[in-house]
Amino acid sequence: MDNALHSGLQPPNHLRSSGCKDMILWLFKRRQRFRVVGDSMQPLLKPQEEVLINPHAYRKRMPEPGDLVVIWHPKRSDLKLIKWVVYVENSRCFVKGLNSMASTDSREFGLVSKGHLLGQVLCHFP
Amino acid sequence: MLNQAISKLQAWFPAEEVHAHCDGPCGVYDPSSARIAAEAVVSMTKKLLDLEAKPGDPAYENTFSRYVAIKEEQAQIAKDELLILWTDYFKPQHLDQFPDLHDTFWKAAKLCSACKVEVSSQHANELMEAIHKIHNMFWATKSRDVSWYTAS
Repeated sequence: MDNALHSGLQPPNHLRSSGCKDMILWLFKRRQRFRVVGDSMQPLLKPQEEVLINPHAYRKRMPEPGDLVVIWHPKRSDLKLIKWVVYVENSRCFVKGLNSMASTDSREFGLVSKGHLLGQVLCHFP
Repeated sequence: MLNQAISKLQAWFPAEEVHAHCDGPCGVYDPSSARIAAEAVVSMTKKLLDLEAKPGDPAYENTFSRYVAIKEEQAQIAKDELLILWTDYFKPQHLDQFPDLHDTFWKAAKLCSACKVEVSSQHANELMEAIHKIHNMFWATKSRDVSWYTAS
């Protein structure tokens, strides 16, 4: 989807639960756990819920529109954010929160470069 | 059984936090971080202007390089902090209170760049004045009377 402006995409409304394979990959440190803080991903992700991400997902490819991602905040080096990818353009992503009224995202800090991507959110934990 | 084990794992090994916040970590902003960086720019600029030139002397070259590097770094920090305040903290409604808000931030950011490019006491001091003005604007939006002070 590189270089493609994606319009009319619906935000993700489902995230699967983790399975045995996810647990095993997490135990072998191939998956990372995160606990959600804040409301910008409601109703899909509520505060205190945990997710598993694949930190290797974007080593060889860019995210696709609709992916849930964990990123470094482009202006705050100590802050990790969880967002969804609206579109990918020139190897950079436009990300948004699901709850637009309570989200700081690409509308404020612009497109996110590949270097700021920490991984793809795969499932709830557990 | 499995759920109990997972719950214990979650308690023993808390997951790292990932923020789904409005305005990052709960809207904690303060122009003082820009002020501290700008003070370092003023200080390094003064030290550079006062430094007696001794071309070819390794000690002089080392000191000169360090002063320049710190001035460059701190001017960029000041610029980053100002841009965060401008784009993340200030909202359209603040323009009613301060119609020159955009112009003030734009000029302050430009001064940060000037302080990197030049060794100019005038621009370094103007940067401090611009941050002083932003300090007043910022605390006025919170209806708080916070005195301006400098560390140096």
